Amino acid sequence: MAQAAAATRPGARDAHGAPARATGACFHCGEALPAEPVLAVVGGTRHPFCCSGCAAASAWIQDAGLSDYYALRTANGARVDLDPAALDVWDAPSVQAEHVRAVEGGCEITLIADGMHCAACAWLIDNALAREPGVREATANAMTGRLRLVWDPAATRLSQPLQRLRALGYTPCLATGAAREQAKRRERNRDLIRIGIAGLGTMQAMMFAEALYLDTGNTMSGPMRDFLRWITFLVSTPVVFYAGWTFLSGAWRELRLRRPGMDTLVATSTLLAYFASVWETITHGPHVWYDAAVMFVFLLLAARLLEQRARRVANAQVDALARARPVFATREAGDGSHEAIPLAALEAGDVAYVAAGDTVPADGTLLDAPALLEEALLTGESRPVERQAGDTVLAGSIAHQRPLRMQVTATGTGTRLSHLIRLVEDAQAHRPPLARMADRIAAWFVVGMLLAAAAVYVAWRVHDPSRAFEVALALLVISCPCALSLAVPAALAAAHGALARDGVLATRPDALQRLAAATDVVFDKTGTLSDGHPQLEDIATFAGLDADAALRIATALERGSRHPLAQAFEAAAQARGLQVPHASDASTQAGLGLAGSIDGRAWRLGRADFAAGREDDGRLWLGDGATAFAAFRIGERLRDDAPDATRALRAMGLSLHLASGDARDAVARAGEALGIADAHARLSPEDKLARVRALQGDGRHVAMVGDGINDAPVLAAADVAIAIGDGAALAHRSADLVLAAPVLGRIPRAIALARRTQRITRENFAWALGYNAIALPLAALGWVTPWLAALGMAVSSLTVTLNALRLTRRPAA
Amino acid sequence: MTILLLLIPLSLLLLGAAVWAFIWAVRKGQFDDLDTPALDILREDPPPASQEPPADAD
Repeated sequence: MAQAAAATRPGARDAHGAPARATGACFHCGEALPAEPVLAVVGGTRHPFCCSGCAAASAWIQDAGLSDYYALRTANGARVDLDPAALDVWDAPSVQAEHVRAVEGGCEITLIADGMHCAACAWLIDNALAREPGVREATANAMTGRLRLVWDPAATRLSQPLQRLRALGYTPCLATGAAREQAKRRERNRDLIRIGIAGLGTMQAMMFAEALYLDTGNTMSGPMRDFLRWITFLVSTPVVFYAGWTFLSGAWRELRLRRPGMDTLVATSTLLAYFASVWETITHGPHVWYDAAVMFVFLLLAARLLEQRARRVANAQVDALARARPVFATREAGDGSHEAIPLAALEAGDVAYVAAGDTVPADGTLLDAPALLEEALLTGESRPVERQAGDTVLAGSIAHQRPLRMQVTATGTGTRLSHLIRLVEDAQAHRPPLARMADRIAAWFVVGMLLAAAAVYVAWRVHDPSRAFEVALALLVISCPCALSLAVPAALAAAHGALARDGVLATRPDALQRLAAATDVVFDKTGTLSDGHPQLEDIATFAGLDADAALRIATALERGSRHPLAQAFEAAAQARGLQVPHASDASTQAGLGLAGSIDGRAWRLGRADFAAGREDDGRLWLGDGATAFAAFRIGERLRDDAPDATRALRAMGLSLHLASGDARDAVARAGEALGIADAHARLSPEDKLARVRALQGDGRHVAMVGDGINDAPVLAAADVAIAIGDGAALAHRSADLVLAAPVLGRIPRAIALARRTQRITRENFAWALGYNAIALPLAALGWVTPWLAALGMAVSSLTVTLNALRLTRRPAA
Repeated sequence: MTILLLLIPLSLLLLGAAVWAFIWAVRKGQFDDLDTPALDILREDPPPASQEPPADAD
């Protein structure tokens, strides 16, 4: 039989009569199957799919001979969106102007492929796009989430390969612009070259140092010894001054700010060891310590590189996406009609329309109605701010609960957001608080070390003037606190790497520390414990409205809100082939429902008391505020791994809570199924916030797990926030950690890892300080020989590093 | 021991060559993506020349 896939949509519960198995996962994206999965024959075997989009993607992959993807991947594919987004806008010269570079044989663009999680995704994209006509080169990088595409504009339009990308379930997003992408790449390459030179130079310097150390009987001739020393000097100099430049410039900055910290400590130690060796070389003294200086630079660079790499992965995937500017803006024409245009085509003076939950595309002035704007990205204030008509709205703020109209005053790089993004990138280079604690230790360590050296020098001047300088120098070199400086970066590097491998992205540097301290976990229900894909189960109608009409109105109202319910209505309306009218003045009443008017008639959709003036019964009501017209019953299923995850969390001694905006009986059912006694239903975002604040008031450390816009405030208020990867961008921004895929089992694993990280960091500090407590008195007494010093430094650094590496191992299950 | 006067400069030359090769590799983007190329070798078949599914597989 032919390999081609034959997709069937058992929408009419017909043909195969395949029992709608509720268990099992989509063959392509791994999401739980709906009650009626799409069955398709791919590669001779019948597989279930969650939607026809996934089935089509899988069939294409099979036909293109790329089915190895399923064997190679380590994470599930992205769900293929059925909604055919218009990609033509990518062809607009205004979009391409800033992002496309002319290269030999065509044009080049770097973009972000949303949904690319593992190396197999990148492999699939590379191979799939390379088959598209006109594509010269496609290089996807799963680590950074970027895709570099070179195409021939004469042979194809950019939107063609992007359509293919989209059909495989990956959404193209604009990266930060060609120039900045280039700059990032250059910076990464410079870091790599630095560490390469440090590694190669260190190995050579060690080799020559070895020759000098092995001359224990002082049998080497003077000229030969000096020759070896000068060669070591030659090899070490670029390591100390080129590879180690980050530490030297960092120390200079710290000293200028009069706040000596880690870099000062590192630079002092390195320069001391280096210049002391130069002095000894010139004066034909007994010892040189070039090897100590270069090894130190190399080890620290390596730890720093690993930590940066882990965080860069997290930030490239989450932060870049969250910060990627929207590709489209909605411009309102003079006649009130809306038109999607490329962001770059938006000009000062235009009127822009922003849907609820969307990002404001440019700086401007608010028109007509007052709006709620969340400006966390701009001001750090997580609460939405009420703005009146005529007030300034800033690009990057998010329209909360209701859409808004604005007159554009500044776009692109002229906006305050662009300025802030630059500031954020600067701030990102700052070290985490845990490392800042190390900075404080480092500061007094430098001072203490210099004081001790001075005291020892004075004491030896009195006791034996000929050895005074030598002993003081040895003391300074030996106390060179490799281990102390490595303690935190090594542990963080290992832990972030382990987290990222498990698909948990730490977006903030102190996320692990906060996670380790958590005592309570508060879950949102919809989209978090349940799979976020509600289904419309039943429609009851009243007052002469038929089911189709009710569905049309409800779908129109839900459109523009990002609540998962909107998808359920879209799907139901699509299944019935309904034309959905346009709703005006649509607004979200948090915790209550939606309001809007259709054809001049005001409608409400939500809780019974809000929409229809009745007692709340858990159903979703459509009405005008007083009269009921229809009631929708919405069902949803808990995620398969929710029971295991909650059980594991309880076993770790965490108290669990459920805080949902959903109906009482639904929440009670979920609470019962998961054994969470403290389940609260019908909570507005304010109530959730109050719940978390109350827990915090009792001295608990709250970890909040959520996914939606309504969770954003409570996520921002919690001690540590975990967002589900496919949730709203607003929730990502409020979160410390993001689960790359909605697998709840990763939460207990991440907490266990955070606790281990904290323990290991403390052990490292204890070891590093302990080493110095032993080494310093020995050095002060003049008992430390050069080989003993080198051994001590190497062993202490290695112990700390190896101890940290324990974090990369998976704990015995 | 005079042979060292030859061998050590020689090792420095090798070091220079290694540094040059490393810098060249970095500039050529050899370290940009360390995961995806590793998968290519795990593929079972070369990709078919055409996307047309065979009319009758067997």
